[in-house]
Amino acid sequence: MFAGAEKLSRNAERVNALNVFPVPDGDTGTNMNLTMSAGVAELTNKPSDEVGRAAEVLSKGLLMGARGNSGVILSQLFRGFSRAVAGSKDLNVPMFAGALQQGVDTAYKAVVKPVEGTILTVAREAARHGLLASRRTQDIVEWLGEVHAKALETLARTQEMLPVLKQVGVVDSGGQGLVYIYEGFLDYLHTGDSATPAVTPAASATPTPAAKPAVSPVPAHASAQSKIATESIAFPYDMEFFIHRLPASTPFHERAFRQTLERDGDSIILIEDDNIVKVHVHSRRPGDVLNAALTYGEITHIHILNMQEQHRDLLQPKAEQPTGMPAVAAGATYAEAASAVAAAPAFDPKVDYSLPGVVNLPSIAASPETEPNPDVHEMAEYGVVVVSVGEGNAELFRSLGVDIVLSGGQSMNPSTEDLLGAIQSLTAQHIYVLPNNPNIIMAAKQAAELAERPVTVLPTRTIPQGLAAMLAFQENDNDAANTARMTKAAERVVTGQVTQAVRDTNMDGIEIKDGHYIGIKDKTIVASTPSLEATCRTLSAELLDTDSDMITVLTGEGADPDTTERLSEWLAQQYPDVEVEVHEGGQPLYPYLFAVEK
Amino acid sequence: MATVAIVTDSTADIPLAVREELDIAMVPLKVIIGGETYLDNIELTPAQFYQKLTRSNDLAKSSQPSPSDFFETFKKLTEQGKSVVCISLSSVLSGTYQSALIAKSMLDDDADVTVIDSRSASYGYGLLVVAAAKLAREGADKTRIIEEVKRMRASMKLYFLVDTLEYLQKGGRIGKASALIGTLLNIKPILSIDDEGYVYSFEKARGQKRAFGRIAELLEEDFKGDPIELIIAKTPGFEDGLAELSGLLKSRLNIIQYTETEIGPVIGAHAGPGTLGLFATRA
Repeated sequence: MFAGAEKLSRNAERVNALNVFPVPDGDTGTNMNLTMSAGVAELTNKPSDEVGRAAEVLSKGLLMGARGNSGVILSQLFRGFSRAVAGSKDLNVPMFAGALQQGVDTAYKAVVKPVEGTILTVAREAARHGLLASRRTQDIVEWLGEVHAKALETLARTQEMLPVLKQVGVVDSGGQGLVYIYEGFLDYLHTGDSATPAVTPAASATPTPAAKPAVSPVPAHASAQSKIATESIAFPYDMEFFIHRLPASTPFHERAFRQTLERDGDSIILIEDDNIVKVHVHSRRPGDVLNAALTYGEITHIHILNMQEQHRDLLQPKAEQPTGMPAVAAGATYAEAASAVAAAPAFDPKVDYSLPGVVNLPSIAASPETEPNPDVHEMAEYGVVVVSVGEGNAELFRSLGVDIVLSGGQSMNPSTEDLLGAIQSLTAQHIYVLPNNPNIIMAAKQAAELAERPVTVLPTRTIPQGLAAMLAFQENDNDAANTARMTKAAERVVTGQVTQAVRDTNMDGIEIKDGHYIGIKDKTIVASTPSLEATCRTLSAELLDTDSDMITVLTGEGADPDTTERLSEWLAQQYPDVEVEVHEGGQPLYPYLFAVEK
Repeated sequence: MATVAIVTDSTADIPLAVREELDIAMVPLKVIIGGETYLDNIELTPAQFYQKLTRSNDLAKSSQPSPSDFFETFKKLTEQGKSVVCISLSSVLSGTYQSALIAKSMLDDDADVTVIDSRSASYGYGLLVVAAAKLAREGADKTRIIEEVKRMRASMKLYFLVDTLEYLQKGGRIGKASALIGTLLNIKPILSIDDEGYVYSFEKARGQKRAFGRIAELLEEDFKGDPIELIIAKTPGFEDGLAELSGLLKSRLNIIQYTETEIGPVIGAHAGPGTLGLFATRA
C-alpha cells in the first residue's frame, strides 16, 4: 500500500502532465496523490496486522482525504475493497481478486454517469482480468503482475475510447495514476522495498513477502516498519509551520533559508507566496529552525512531531495511540507525499497563487479557510457552503446569503474532509453545497453522504453558475422547490472564462500556443490570441446573442483597469441593449470570468 | 341605505375620493418623523411624507391606532343600527388588528362588529375593502360580504418591488438574512405577502428591467389570459419606471380595469422610497 502511494507520489507530476485541457488546472496527479497520502497517513497512525482492519482504516483515510474526481473514485475503489476484506486477517489471491471487483462495483455506483476511457475503465478491466487469472494462479506476484499488465493495456486503449484523449495524444490521467499504484504494489512484492527514503532498512528479519504463498499487502507494511531501527531516523523532528512576512522583517531569501535548514535537516519544502512561506522540514534542532524562521516574520500553525517517538509507538502494536494524531504527522511517508506536492505543477513558483490556495495544503485541512458568518448560526432553516476563489467573489457570495466560502477551485480542490468540516460547522436544518468547479462535485457529494444533516449538492461547474443559483435561492421556500429553482438558474447561465494556455495544442479546431490567452465558452475553447483584450472580445461575442440583456464581468488577477475599461466601452457600443456589470472577483489564473443569463 | 358599514385603517392606501364615494370609515395609524407625530394619510399626504423622509436623517416610525380610536368609530356606526365589518392590516405586521379586537370587546354585547385580519398590506387589502364597500352599497348582508372578502383574499396576487431591503429590515418586517441580499449585485428584490400575512422575498432580479420582466411573467402565469383588475401603488420617484412597467403589463396581460394609487406614509416608512406595489385580481 505504502509502495503504491509512493509510486504515485513520485509520478504525480507525470500524471498532471496528462491532463488534456491546456488550462492551468492539470492537477489529477496532485489530487490522487493527496487522496492517497491521506489514506496512508491514517494507516500509519493506526497500523494493524489484520488486513480487514488495515483496509478499513485506509479506506476511511482515503474517503476523508478525497480531492478531485479521480481522488473520489480512488477512494470508492478502496471503499469497496475494504468492505470485501472486512474481518479477514490475511489475503489470498481469490480474496484479493474479489475485493478488487467489489471496489469497481462500488465506484461505478458512486459515479452518476460513468465515462469509459477513464480510471473506472482501467479499474474495471483490471479487476475482471484479476478474477479470471485467480482461477489459473494462486501466486500473488504472478497474479498481480497479470492485473497490472491488463491495467496497463487498458490504459493504452483509453485513447481509443475518449476522443479528447486521442486528439491530444495522451492516455487518461486518472487511469495512469491507478496503474502507478498497482505498479507500486508489484514493485514491493518483487523487492520488498516500500521506498521510504527518510529511513533505511536495518535487518531483514522477516521473509520477503513474495516467498509466502498468500500475502497481504497491508500488514506487509507493518513488518517493513519494524525492520527499521528507531535510532536510524537521523532528523527526528518533523516540523511544519507558516511564516507570515511582516513589513519590518528581513526580506525572505529562499536559498539562504534552505541552506540554514539543510545544516541539520532534510525533506525540506518551502512554498512561498506574496506574504506567506509554508515550511516543512525534518530537523535535528527544531529550536534553531524556529529561530531562523523568526527573522523573516511571525510563525503560525506550528506542528512539531518527534518521529522517533512515533516509531517507538509503532513497534508496540498493543498500545493504543494516545491521542488522535493529526493525519499530517505520519512521519517519513508524509514527507514523501509532501515533496510530491511541492513537485507538482500546482505549486509552480511562476504562477501567482492566491494566499488561500497556499494555505489549503493537506496538513492544515480547512480550518483557516472556513469563514463562518457569525450572524447566521442560530439553527437557521438553510445553510449554504460554496467553494470559490478570490476575495471579491467570496464577498459576492456572502452578499447573497452564503454562510461559508471555502477557498478552492482550479488547481486547489478541497478534500471531502474540508467540505464535510464546513458542512458540520453549520447548525442549519438543510445545507446546500455549491462546488462551482466540475472537479469538486464528487468530493462534495461524498461529503454530503457522510454528513449528519440533509445536504443537497448542486452540481455548479463555475463561479457564475454558483452566483446564479444563489440568486435563485429563496430562504422561505421548501428545499425541493429551491433545489429545482437553483438548478434551473445555474443551467441558464453561459459562462465565459479567459486564461492563459499552458502548452501548445489544438483543441476544438483552434490552434493554441503556450502563453496565449484562451477564451472558453462553457466547456469549449472559442478564442485564442496573444492579446487579452482581443480574446475577451471574441469570447463575449460568442457568449451574447440577440436575447441577452446583461453580462457580468468578474475581474481576476491579471486583469488591468485599462483593459477592463476598454472592454466595457466596447461592449456598451457593440451591444447597446445589454447591461454590463463589472465586479472585482480576484480569482487567480483567470483574468476575466463572464456570465450571461439565457 | 346600507345596513353594513365598512371600516378599515389608513394603511389600505385607499384614496380619499374613493373612501368618500363608497362611504368607507377609516381609522388612521400614526406616523412619526422628525420628532413629530402625524395621522397617517390625513395630516400627512404621501407627497409631504416622502419629502420629509428624504430630508430627515432618522427613519420614520409608525404606531397603531389605539383601541379607543376604533371604539369611537365602531360605537358611532353601531348606534346607527349598522353591522360593522372592519378589515385591518396584517396582524403579523402591526398591532392594528389587536386594537380593533379590543375596541370590539369594549362595546355592548349587542353591537354587531366583525374584525377581519386581512393578512395583507396596502392596496393588497385596499382592494378587498373597496369590493366589500361596493357590496354593502348594493345592499348585501354581512355574511355575504365576509365570504366575498375571504374569497378575494385567497385569489389575489400581489408583488412588491423595493429599492432596498434596508427599510424593511430596520423596521423588523423581514428576516435578517434576506436583508443581506442585493447589496452588491444591483439586485431588485421582488417581495410578496404569504398566507399568514408575512412579507417575504419572493425572488431576486438583477436590475429594474429584469424585475419588471419577471413581474409580467409571474402575473401571466398567475392569470393565464383571464381578464383582471390591476392596481399599481407607487411611491414618488418611480414615475419613469412606472410608465415602462404599465406599458409592459398592458401589452402582456388582459387588464380590463387599471388604477394607479399612492403608497401612504406608514407603508412607505417601512418599505422605503422607491417601492412599488402590484395588486391583481380576476375581474
